[in-house]
Amino acid sequence: MTALPAFRNEPLLELRRAPERARLDDALRALDTRLPLRVPIWIGDERRDGDALRSTDPGTPDRVVATAPIATADDAHAAVAAAQAAFPAWAATPAADRAATLVRGAAWMRERRAELAALCVRECAKPWAEADADVAEAIDFLEYYARGALVLADAPPGLVQVPGERNTLRYAPRGVCAVIAPWNFPLAIPAGMTAAALATGNSVVLKPAEQAPGCGRMVVEALRAGGVPPAALALLPGEGETGAALAAHPGVATIAFTGSGAVGLELLRTAAAKPPQAGVLTRVVAEMGGKNCVLVDADADLDDAVPAIVHSAFAYAGQKCSAAARVLVHEAVADALLERLAGAVAVLPVGQAEAHGTVTGPVVEEAAQARVARYAQLASDTGTIAARRDPPTSPGWFAGPTVATDLPSESPVLSEEIFGPLLAVERVCDLDEACDRVDALPFALTGGLFARNPRTIAQVASRSPVGNLYVNRGITGAMVGRQPFGGNRLSGTGTKAGGPDYLLQFVEPRVMTENTMRHGLVVG
Amino acid sequence: MPGDVPPPESEVVAIGREIAAALPSPARHPGKAIDARAMDFTSRDAELRAALFRFVDVVPACRSVDDLAAHLTGFLGEVDAQTPPIKAAMRMGDSRAGRAALGTAAAAGVKHMARRFIVADSPAGARGTLQRLWRDGTAASVDLLGEATITSAEADGYAARCAEALDALTEIYRGSPPRPLLERDGAGPLPRANLSVKVSALTPLLRPDAPALGQEDAAPRLRALLRTARELDAHLHVDMESFDSREAITDLVLDLLAEDEFRDGPSAGMVLQAYLRDGGELLDRVLAFSAEHERASPLTIRLVKGAYWDHELVEARQHGWEPPVWEHKAESDRNFEALTLRLLAARPAVRVAIASHNLRSVAHAIAAADADVEFQVLRGLGDDLGHALAHLGHRVRVYCPVGDLVAGMAYLVRRLLENTSNESFLAEQARGAALDDLLAAP
Repeated sequence: MTALPAFRNEPLLELRRAPERARLDDALRALDTRLPLRVPIWIGDERRDGDALRSTDPGTPDRVVATAPIATADDAHAAVAAAQAAFPAWAATPAADRAATLVRGAAWMRERRAELAALCVRECAKPWAEADADVAEAIDFLEYYARGALVLADAPPGLVQVPGERNTLRYAPRGVCAVIAPWNFPLAIPAGMTAAALATGNSVVLKPAEQAPGCGRMVVEALRAGGVPPAALALLPGEGETGAALAAHPGVATIAFTGSGAVGLELLRTAAAKPPQAGVLTRVVAEMGGKNCVLVDADADLDDAVPAIVHSAFAYAGQKCSAAARVLVHEAVADALLERLAGAVAVLPVGQAEAHGTVTGPVVEEAAQARVARYAQLASDTGTIAARRDPPTSPGWFAGPTVATDLPSESPVLSEEIFGPLLAVERVCDLDEACDRVDALPFALTGGLFARNPRTIAQVASRSPVGNLYVNRGITGAMVGRQPFGGNRLSGTGTKAGGPDYLLQFVEPRVMTENTMRHGLVVG
Repeated sequence: MPGDVPPPESEVVAIGREIAAALPSPARHPGKAIDARAMDFTSRDAELRAALFRFVDVVPACRSVDDLAAHLTGFLGEVDAQTPPIKAAMRMGDSRAGRAALGTAAAAGVKHMARRFIVADSPAGARGTLQRLWRDGTAASVDLLGEATITSAEADGYAARCAEALDALTEIYRGSPPRPLLERDGAGPLPRANLSVKVSALTPLLRPDAPALGQEDAAPRLRALLRTARELDAHLHVDMESFDSREAITDLVLDLLAEDEFRDGPSAGMVLQAYLRDGGELLDRVLAFSAEHERASPLTIRLVKGAYWDHELVEARQHGWEPPVWEHKAESDRNFEALTLRLLAARPAVRVAIASHNLRSVAHAIAAADADVEFQVLRGLGDDLGHALAHLGHRVRVYCPVGDLVAGMAYLVRRLLENTSNESFLAEQARGAALDDLLAAP
């Protein structure tokens, strides 16, 4: 196969042009006529439909988007067994051929940009711009990891060589990878974790989020359409128990997980508790929660800072791992910032995800709505509500965007991940104090800084523990290859999705040393 | 009546030479010569230029002279070529007294520069300047500078300031002497008071992916301003901004002006950006509108190159999009000339204002226009060209930013960037490019 052209991010749709928006509207109408989608337990060529699991439109909960069976522990066992059986052949497939299947899978998605975005809108209430970015990111992951796996295979790091011996390092796939995916990037994240495992020669069992089985099916369809052997990629819809059964299976060598901290910690325990008879130290790649802070210095340009904070906190109803949860603002500009923030929240487009321009749609499910309401009540009881939008009167799971301030330092609102449209603002006397507060958190995923003195920026950057620090811009929207993404501390295992070293999580290095000296003669 | 046939090159060049001869000589304006040299100097070292722009930009947010000096040395510290003047500034940053001196001097320098571009802190404060311009035979359009609009209160505040400005301008021009060239053209009377407004300041809801939101939110405020302008017999001109807002602005203006109540006024205008690849299609739409909606005073189209070129290119590259703008200056220049000819041919259904500091573009328009065309220049950048054109008997309007220096700094930075960017006509002129080269067909 000819070499792949250099990686380039998939362009986002140019939604500022009316024809592009109309194309998306058409795709959504077309999708609606096909709902609900059927999502099977899909192991090899065996498909089993069911309707024990239903995903619904968070904005119109009586609209069923997809139906699926709930995979049992037996199903998980069957899926892992099939993946184990498929592993040797897939592992032996030349890296270039594996890469080609990913690139073809990306092309399959590219041909269905509008349809896939529409599914994100319906199943997860992602506003159009976010839904489109999700599709583009899924494509990016396939293209990026295809190239990365080629580099690992063709150009592994060199070793020290001396006369009479030849040392080589190569990377071998680890085996079966269980991918346990979240609903908030229902295409991109499962596509990314799955593609990383497949590109490096692992076989995969994908358990999509129970809220987004429809999107999960599309990921599997894309990759199988690209040429991944059916046995090497299984789809296992289900709920938490399905994921737990999958992760605990002794045949699983790697768990790639993105989701809540509680589940991530449980998976790490599960992996560590496998009996020695399993013959594997299951590796866990976990991307978990955050409590992301934006620091605003006295010299910040509020014209830029306020819109960026609003977007970081409230786009997609605050349901991104990277979303802003706290603002730590220098007291000299705190009043001005709060006033403008409150005014900006007052005009924030809140509504159905399918309406162009919507920034804050509904949250994903009823439990999320209740959780956000609980924290908002706590904020109101113990602090001051600086801004609050009433959610639209609609049956959807809406949570009104809220800005709280004057909270006591020990408030759970300041330390626990809420994963919804609730932003806390705190005053600090300088950025050192702000850095201290950030440092006191158990999380370290993303962070933001609005400041213009280069020395300040350098100081904050040197103290910041976060995995992704954004300076003078919003703190969401990491791009594959440009902002390798992932957190530290309790936010994750320190891996960087969409980065140059991510694939190393899915391989084991093997070194061979060959004696090339024979009867005093170097023969190799 | 000229059709859209290009004028003879010889005529364009002859007119260009005539304008050039009417430009003031640097020898008679030593202050300006120094300004020109300073800009030339900064434009050679991209890092130093960036450091100074960042400093100008942050001045409003600095809380003390000490803070100013800390920022200045912070930016200068990032410049690789530490020349003796930079080293001296960095040394001053080491002591409190040094910082006080450096901060004070730097603030004074920025203010001096800002005054060149910003007329006054309020329309009333601009009275002297506007009346002097008028007496000298030059009209003005006032633009109110301010912070970005991100709340409804800010949009209301801007709209209120615009309404007050219309009042103030009407009052300022009330006793001014008659200037027939500035007060009437072939299509009828021209208002003296002329205000330029920005839709991005009239609504916090301009969203590229949902132009209808911003359009709906801005409409009541712009409608109220149109009514005020009509009552005061003032001209209201809606500026064009980045491509992200073009659909919203265009729909807003054309929809409002189509309303029955505005058929008889006020005089109003919009902007056509020649750097846009599809500028011609927008002109098609505007001309169709003008044909369909007969107005007592025809829509004025201000033709500009466009002030957001870098922004458009960077944004398109970051997103992987085809840039909406021409990537080479010559392409924009050619488009400017093509649009000039089409606009002139469309008179009197529209009024035409040629807003360029490019000697060639202006000479081309004059050669093609016979009469009945207005020229617009920017305060602080196009003053000399404006004087020369007025001297030669053309109708000239100076775009005059008004507002406090703090809020106006973003404007200032954009103007400075435009002035020192590599392909800028003014920069070439300041470097002494040969007149023949400056007048060559693009």
